[in-house]
Amino acid sequence: MATIDGSNVKKLIVACDAGMGSSVMLASTLKKQLAKSGVTVEHSPVAHIPADADVVVTQASLAERARGVVPDVPVVPFQLFMGDPSVTKVVKAILNGETVEV
Amino acid sequence: MSDYTPAATGSGARARVQRFGAFLAGMVMPNLGAFIAFGLVTALFIPTGWINTIAGTTENPLPITVQIGQLVGPLISILLPLLIGYTGGKMVYETRGAVVGAVATLGGMLSPVALQLVGIQLNADEPAAAPENIAGIAPNFLAAFILGPLTALLLKLWDRAIAGKVKGGFEMLVDNFSAGIIGGAMAVLGLYVVGWATFWVAQGLGAATNALVEAKLLPLVSIIVEPAKILFLNNALNHGVFTPLGAEQAAGEAGKSILFMLESNPGPGLGILTAMLLFGPRAIRPTVPAAMVVHFLGGIHEIYFPYVLMKPILVIAAIAGGATGVLWEVIWGLGLRAPASPGSVIAWILVSPPDNVLLNLVGIVLAAAVAALVGSALLKFGRGESAADEAMNLEAAQQKSAQNKAQSKNQPAADAAS
Repeated sequence: MATIDGSNVKKLIVACDAGMGSSVMLASTLKKQLAKSGVTVEHSPVAHIPADADVVVTQASLAERARGVVPDVPVVPFQLFMGDPSVTKVVKAILNGETVEV
Repeated sequence: MSDYTPAATGSGARARVQRFGAFLAGMVMPNLGAFIAFGLVTALFIPTGWINTIAGTTENPLPITVQIGQLVGPLISILLPLLIGYTGGKMVYETRGAVVGAVATLGGMLSPVALQLVGIQLNADEPAAAPENIAGIAPNFLAAFILGPLTALLLKLWDRAIAGKVKGGFEMLVDNFSAGIIGGAMAVLGLYVVGWATFWVAQGLGAATNALVEAKLLPLVSIIVEPAKILFLNNALNHGVFTPLGAEQAAGEAGKSILFMLESNPGPGLGILTAMLLFGPRAIRPTVPAAMVVHFLGGIHEIYFPYVLMKPILVIAAIAGGATGVLWEVIWGLGLRAPASPGSVIAWILVSPPDNVLLNLVGIVLAAAVAALVGSALLKFGRGESAADEAMNLEAAQQKSAQNKAQSKNQPAADAAS
């Protein structure tokens, strides 16, 4: 469990195993959803998540590895690559500047 | 759960395998464009390629295809292993590591020529012979996997050991010659040791694969492949194991390999999604059609894994579908010219040999049909969906799976069931 303050998020990383397929797809969706907020959305392989990330979004099966790479950054695990409630919650928190538990 | 500790270190067994696999796949995946360039040039220009097939000149290939066909051998036997050794070095120690990784890899690649190694004789009619020059070597990806990162690591350790001890003005001299000496020495070691050893390992693996294909036992591989995919080991398995082995096969006489098809067949995933669309939990049915498009046309298989994690029993449907596809491919002797990456039906068509396109597509359809049927049966054609199931929304399902995950933290083997 970690707390995310939506108003403090400047850089959101979508991570997947290779950083070439599913993360690119989700990142392009989130980029559109977060366009107005000015948050940087990037994708990366889970082994190379940049240390300056404010929040990491990744599939639940990869969350353990993501936490190992960036122990100080909140990791949001999700199940579905499209329309997952955990992801929607984070997007809403960023857009409204709210605080959420993930 | 008194002994529960958050796995912040990421040390679970699955994470370890994932990480090792990602390390191998990480050397291959940035170079997939080069694999595909090789696949397209091969598919179009070799004597049995598209152009000669359409022109009806497979017996007497058009001169232009003979000229362009010169690219085929060097692309796969020379460029691809070098690129992988380069990328492996880069993962460990940036561009400096990449350069020495490529140098050392070349040593490993040249073993069969330099040491005149004669491979295992698979076909009694053609006596095996040692390659006469570099054009005759088979691609040695295994040597690249080892020599690229290892040489970069040695250089990194050397640089670290002498950091701050070099006299001002001599840095470039020391840097260049340390890289040259370490790279050159590892190329020699590669030639006599790593290249020699990996040559025989590859020969053994090739013979074993061949035996599995001959005995029509290759479909059994699906029992490992499909569950591994669901655990996000898809890239590790496909690009860590099948792509390098398949490329060695594709560089040979047949010009294609069935190994490229084992993981990348989009059929089983499509079947699972079809079963989910028809008989899955009602709350998630609306999410399925978009997932089908991304999976089947976009080739991003990751999108169907969560549906199987939600209903783990469906992994049986994936195995049944996958094995059906492989059996079909074995029976007809099918293959792809290059890795189909991403595993989209479009990628499959583009890297199929002309005479295999239709049969390859049938393989996808069969795999999808079997996976859909078995999947639907496992979902009891929707009848098993109790009132509790209907009330269960996605969030509840997620919490459940999060709980399962927390419980299985201390016994990683149980992850498959979470």
